[in-house]
Amino acid sequence: MAKPIRTVLIYLGLSLVALTMLLPFLWMVLASLKPLREVEMLNPLPTEWHPENYRKVFEQIPFARYYFNSVFISAWITFLQCLTSCMAAFAFARLNWKGRDGVFRLYLATLMIPGVVTMIPNYTLMVKLHILDSYTGLIVPASFSAFGTFLLRQFMLTIPPALDEAAEIDGAGRWQVFWDVIMPLARPGIITLGIFTFMGTYGSFFWPLILIKSEHLRTLPIGMLFFDTNYGRQTNLIMAASVMNIIPLIILFVTSQKFLVKGIQLGAVKG
Amino acid sequence: MRVFFAATFVVLIALSLLAWSIRPNVAEPGKTALTWVSDDNPARREQINLFNRLHKDLTLRLDPNNTGMEKVIVQSLAGVGPDLFDCYDTFQLSAYVKSGIAWNVTDELAKLGLDPAKQTWKAVQADSIYEGRAYGFGNNVGADAVWFNKSIFDREGIPYPKGPWRWPEFIKLAQRLTHRDANGRATQFGFMCEWWQWLHFVYQFGGRVYSEDGTRCVVDSPETVAAVQLLYDLIYKYKVMPSPVEEAAMATQGGWGSGTITRFGADKGAMALGGRWWLCTLRDYKGLRLGVVECPYSVKRVFRGYGKGTLINKNSPHRQEALKFLVYQAGREYNQLINDQADALGPVVQFAYEPRYLLNPKHPEEDYNVVWRDALERATPDQYSPFINGQVALRLLNKQLDLVKNNQKTAKAAMCDAALQLNREIARGLEQDPELARRYREITGRTAPGGAQ
Amino acid sequence: MSGKLRPGEARNRRDTVAALLFLLPNFLGFVIFTSGPVIFSLAASFTNWNLQQTVPFRWVGFENYGRLLADPEFHLYAVNTAYFLLGMPLAIAGSLCLAMMLSQKLKGIVVYRTLFYLPSFTSGVALMILWKALYNPDFGPVNAMIDWVTHSLHLSIAAPQWLLSTQNVLGLDVEKVGFTAKQLGIGARDAIIIMGIWTAVGGNNMLLYLAALTNVPQELSEAAELDGAGPWQVFRNVTWPQLAPTTFFIVVMSFIGGLQGGFEQARVMTAGGPAGTTTTLAYHIYTKAFEEFQIGYASAVSWVLFALVFAATAVNWKFGNREVSY
Repeated sequence: MAKPIRTVLIYLGLSLVALTMLLPFLWMVLASLKPLREVEMLNPLPTEWHPENYRKVFEQIPFARYYFNSVFISAWITFLQCLTSCMAAFAFARLNWKGRDGVFRLYLATLMIPGVVTMIPNYTLMVKLHILDSYTGLIVPASFSAFGTFLLRQFMLTIPPALDEAAEIDGAGRWQVFWDVIMPLARPGIITLGIFTFMGTYGSFFWPLILIKSEHLRTLPIGMLFFDTNYGRQTNLIMAASVMNIIPLIILFVTSQKFLVKGIQLGAVKG
Repeated sequence: MRVFFAATFVVLIALSLLAWSIRPNVAEPGKTALTWVSDDNPARREQINLFNRLHKDLTLRLDPNNTGMEKVIVQSLAGVGPDLFDCYDTFQLSAYVKSGIAWNVTDELAKLGLDPAKQTWKAVQADSIYEGRAYGFGNNVGADAVWFNKSIFDREGIPYPKGPWRWPEFIKLAQRLTHRDANGRATQFGFMCEWWQWLHFVYQFGGRVYSEDGTRCVVDSPETVAAVQLLYDLIYKYKVMPSPVEEAAMATQGGWGSGTITRFGADKGAMALGGRWWLCTLRDYKGLRLGVVECPYSVKRVFRGYGKGTLINKNSPHRQEALKFLVYQAGREYNQLINDQADALGPVVQFAYEPRYLLNPKHPEEDYNVVWRDALERATPDQYSPFINGQVALRLLNKQLDLVKNNQKTAKAAMCDAALQLNREIARGLEQDPELARRYREITGRTAPGGAQ
Repeated sequence: MSGKLRPGEARNRRDTVAALLFLLPNFLGFVIFTSGPVIFSLAASFTNWNLQQTVPFRWVGFENYGRLLADPEFHLYAVNTAYFLLGMPLAIAGSLCLAMMLSQKLKGIVVYRTLFYLPSFTSGVALMILWKALYNPDFGPVNAMIDWVTHSLHLSIAAPQWLLSTQNVLGLDVEKVGFTAKQLGIGARDAIIIMGIWTAVGGNNMLLYLAALTNVPQELSEAAELDGAGPWQVFRNVTWPQLAPTTFFIVVMSFIGGLQGGFEQARVMTAGGPAGTTTTLAYHIYTKAFEEFQIGYASAVSWVLFALVFAATAVNWKFGNREVSY
């Protein structure tokens, strides 16, 4: 096939898929500007524009506070998860110790445990530790990740061992090797994990729902429930809140794009 | 990398300090904070504001995220429960009592001169009085009736309906008010109701969910089957009510629970079975002219009454202060507010018989308040069986009703299966719970369902 | 053993101490928030633990397990859960296709990548409300399109009822495990599968493939092309084997995620209906534990689900891991 034709075909395919991804979001943005009664009608454009829906979101609920909470909690979790995962991944990828592979397999096995299994005991644990209804209860249990450890271990395995051996010959301790050799080289991997984690926790719904009681601790997904009650659903405001909800994620994704793809290394073919 | 992590850490600490500093005061100095688990909506907020205005030493706050019964129980047992929480039916009440978190306030209320058994509507007593003892006070209560859209009736030159009336008359009227276009697509329905209102039909056919003593599920009785059959016929035989497919097709907003209100508000239906609380939504529909007539009946002129009670957490350190909220719910200010908001009816009977109830000066067009009161007088609360988990029963019944509603199963087959499943569940409960088995023996003289006398 | 250590041993010992310290923070959290609760829930599954206190607490052995294995509801929900896995191969193939197209060094790729990732940003309520509108049987754009196509082809095929229908492409029965011609069609389960594919196809899996594709040495495919191999052969013999570790990882994770999934859709879109056809095991566990308080029983269901996931992963591992090293 001639090169230009192939290029055109690829662009065509990509654009088609992109369109199916984009149209629903366009609908979402337009719906956020519609009067309530038109929201689920499928006329694409509102008959009258209601940009004040966005203002209403802030008036009816303390949206700014929820925004802050969501970003704040996700940031803490991302930070802690990256840190603990890096350290554990280092132990698995770079250090030789007895039982290493056994423990690693145990970590892998926990990826298979359905979240609901641990939900009830963890909830009881939060109650016992008196961190129900607190930032701590939202942040701490989510800060340790077997998935993150796995992802970063795979990435660290791709870093040539000669590098840290050289550093050790120069008299560097483990701690120094970790910070000065491995961590800088593992940066794409860490950023990738960071993005996955941030997105996962930012949208998490069920745990905050059962854990949080106070209004000032609510996160965005929980706060938005106000627009959906027995007395009616303000779908246009839900849409406005959702549009505002995804803005931080889009910014994060676009700014860190170039690291993302580099950051994922899942092990090599045996050979 | 070190610098990056250290810097992030410092920023996060700073943010934490910020978060901590903008944390609202739990209670203003000198005030006691009370938490009430209930759903959030503008009406609720007004009710709370009024309470806080009347009680300068208390601050009542709403906690809308923990309305699940499981959460209330677990949190209360752990000592972090709310001070006040809502209760929607006798099964919930029994669960709260059995798990030891509902405070028996019979004596306290008596000392304060309150007696919910005498003062409140019967339909709401199911949510606050259990085996003769009071655990709370009614919050609001109502019974459903038929809303009608006056503009549609006027347009078609049909006189407004008057009760009491029977189903045949109603169906004829509903058929006149149902219109379809050339493709058979409905443009207007004569009647709308939600399937979760099925008990409303069951009671007036003389049917029951459980036998009188609660030991058996009897939804396979001819009366109950006939009631479900009517619901089915309204959709598929008389075609006056939207089928699930047609419901979805009416592209207006609204979720699964509240779709009918908004569809009715959008002039898609001439009549709808609903409660007074619909006004909380419908008052916002400008230009909608409404009337209300009592629901037609079949054998018995009874209606399903439902409401909610507010209970006090036995383990709350502020339970004495929480009592003031129950007193508030018994008082004139609160009842009048509920009646004015049309968040169903206030729990106390007396205030519905004052002239003020019939005429809300802000809404003089609502000339049908007497219908709601009469319906409530004839209302019966939902039945309760101590021998089955109400949530399990609800799920099993809903699944069978879903099959009927979707035209997958006949009413008779579905109700027979439901009865079978519920009775199996009852039998299982008896096997596991010696206390239940003892009660069962006392009532029936048998050890197990189906066993020889 | 005393005396001199060989250099390697000294190193190993030093490593062990260091490893412990590095592992400690993560391992502590792992023990407290994962292993502990897992063991706790295993123990709970052998009790009659119920939040209502009338029933005296006692150990019931395998009673919960016996009960659920005999429970027709459990069977149906297990079948539902398995049914939802049908979309997996399509989603993975789609991700691979998109990644292959994106890996061509063309202009504007970053924009496409962001657009494909859009559904992953918005999970939850907004998306599901949106899809409910799209699936509207009479006025939704999905059926409008189907009607247009069938109409122009002069076919008289009724468009599916989507979320309102208990039908499915396999013809699974509603109330018992089995097949019936009456249920053959397209319904709620298929609607949710399609939505799932749409959401997942441009998400993390695509990123994983993209990352793996950048690692496939260009020389290999160029050499193959010089040898006269066509694009399909290059893909089959060069690219695909190189992607094996990634594919393996994605398949394993999709299985794990798929078997545990269906909770949010059921909660927000369908409430598990119509007639329980979109209830998955995860949603069933939630209902049992958080609505019906049967914590012991719910824990038992969780553990059966865990066993299923474990078995699926073991099978994957046995058949998929041949060429891959971790």
